[in-house]
Amino acid sequence: MIVCPNCKHQEADGAIFCSECGMQLIQYTPGDTHRFDSATGQLDEVPVPEPHVQAPAWISLHLLESGQILPISDRMEFTMGRVSENQPIMPDIDLSPFKAFDNGVSRLHAVIRNNAGNIVIMDLGSSNGTYINGTRIVPNIEQPLRHGDIVALGKLKMQVVLS
Amino acid sequence: MPPKRPDFYAMLGLLRSATQEEIKRAYYKIAKRLHPDTNQAPGETELFLEVQQAYQVLSDPARRSAYDATLGPEEMTLPEVVEKRILLSRKEIARLPESQLLYVLVDVLPTEQQKQALSGVPLNLCLVLDCSTSMKGERLDTVKASAVQIIRQLKPQDIFSVIAFNDRAEVIIPATRHQGNTHRLETRIQMLQTGGGTEIFKGLQAGFDEIRRYANPNTVSHIILLTDGRTYGDEPQCYELAKQSAEAGIGISGLGIGSGWNDIFLDQLVSYTGGTAMYVSQPKDIERLLNEKFANLTQIFAENVVLDFQSTPGVSVSYAFRLQPETAPLNKQSPIPLGPILRDWPLSVLMEFLIQPVSAGQDEVELINGKLEIASAALQTAFTSVPVRLTVPVKDTISPEPPPASLVQALSKLTLYRLQEKARAEVESGNYEKATQHLQKMATHLLAQGERSMAKTIMLEIENIEREKKFSESGDKQIKYGTRALLLPGERKR
Repeated sequence: MIVCPNCKHQEADGAIFCSECGMQLIQYTPGDTHRFDSATGQLDEVPVPEPHVQAPAWISLHLLESGQILPISDRMEFTMGRVSENQPIMPDIDLSPFKAFDNGVSRLHAVIRNNAGNIVIMDLGSSNGTYINGTRIVPNIEQPLRHGDIVALGKLKMQVVLS
Repeated sequence: MPPKRPDFYAMLGLLRSATQEEIKRAYYKIAKRLHPDTNQAPGETELFLEVQQAYQVLSDPARRSAYDATLGPEEMTLPEVVEKRILLSRKEIARLPESQLLYVLVDVLPTEQQKQALSGVPLNLCLVLDCSTSMKGERLDTVKASAVQIIRQLKPQDIFSVIAFNDRAEVIIPATRHQGNTHRLETRIQMLQTGGGTEIFKGLQAGFDEIRRYANPNTVSHIILLTDGRTYGDEPQCYELAKQSAEAGIGISGLGIGSGWNDIFLDQLVSYTGGTAMYVSQPKDIERLLNEKFANLTQIFAENVVLDFQSTPGVSVSYAFRLQPETAPLNKQSPIPLGPILRDWPLSVLMEFLIQPVSAGQDEVELINGKLEIASAALQTAFTSVPVRLTVPVKDTISPEPPPASLVQALSKLTLYRLQEKARAEVESGNYEKATQHLQKMATHLLAQGERSMAKTIMLEIENIEREKKFSESGDKQIKYGTRALLLPGERKR
């Protein structure tokens, strides 16, 4: 059984599209994502930043499951989500290499902003919600983030590392 | 080396596994063509006698088995006439305690050798024209102009007839070879007048009677029905006639003009013969669509391909759709008329199989075991079947290989078409909220794919359904045939 991540409709195994909402159900393998990157040439920089960044990162996201660390330095505000074929939505950080689809991350899930040193997170009306240390936050309202907080987008957990 | 004996099976265009029923059918088809009363070329009477001898042996089980014993191991007695290309969404299926889906994309095309040998096949065409009051004015004028254009494109050996119908039918041009004298035919067309209601069965029956006089396995016989109205009460008779036509090797296509005609009826009617129904939104499109249809008929390699198979327990066809040459939904029960193969345009069919849980000891699942029956005037044998057997291995764990891109692409469009079908059924049953939700999803996907005008049509229709609690007269057809047109593979789209 496959459950459509978009509308929760149940499809028989082997289905390629959801019969209720038309969404493509085949998951993106890393190979797929790579192909997409080279086609557009835009997405390479964001998910895996260069190891030798000039400006020091003001925030890093430590993905708990994969152990990978995403440092952010070049922008003061970034959206997180998952790039999906057939959808024109482009989050600043594409989490699809980190099983975003399995973990219920929305295509445009949340935004993190640096308001002159005050770092906040806002849920963008995601389907599965955003959690800080296990507490679900109200959508579209900014919540402060502290060093060491565990943020979960759906089930995808990451620790906030501020510097 | 043993002396070369005539192979009775090859003579009838059959496989050695042919059933008695198939032998009988093949014999009748060939005998009709070769019978001394109808044959044309010298030597055909001798051929007829040989075929008769073959039939006498094969139709008698005792003599047949005696004959079979004299044959060596089966070689491919049939020349390869078509090539099949089959793509599966998964190369193997998982051993699961639940049911699963598998998609199969089948392409059938003539072999290069057959394509080279293909020569012009005479056409036996009948136009059945709706001349009810509603056709008055621009509609009938365009129909007349288009009919005349077709007459001018006919070759001397082609047979042509025209029926006009309203609440009764009239033979305007009886089926005949016009032999270059087209002027008289054009005058008759120009004199058509409108009046009365729409009784499609009367028109079809008259058309069938005309076309049948020249219908034989060496011509491409086809009825094109043009209508702008609904027929009431005679639908079952029409379906019955369509089945008869299919049996006689006569194809039926439909052109629905404007918004008042019954698309469900027309789709159903043409599906029996593997034909297509087309939607004509404006009178000026009649000319283009009719000419296109005519061009396709002159390009025909096989008039119809029928997929005949035994159903395997636990496996069923849950959806079938023809992607090309002309897009149309197909029946799900065997035998399935798949439709024509054109010379340069393969037949392409997408099927969805529903597979019930696989039992522990089973290591493969049989999807199809049957044959493709190819009815073709262009081929030498009157009746050709190509065996098809498709199995997939069952594995405990399956490789996560993604399905072929072309299959996914076709399926993405087909999913939208099926959403539209759902929405229509929901409006029918009064579930307006669900219907508009489905249409909304369709519109979103279409926008993302850059199909703006189609998306806009759907958005307007959503408003209409919310207000009127039903589809608008033209909206349902625009959406149905519009999404269908999206399914045509890229290079053929206009």
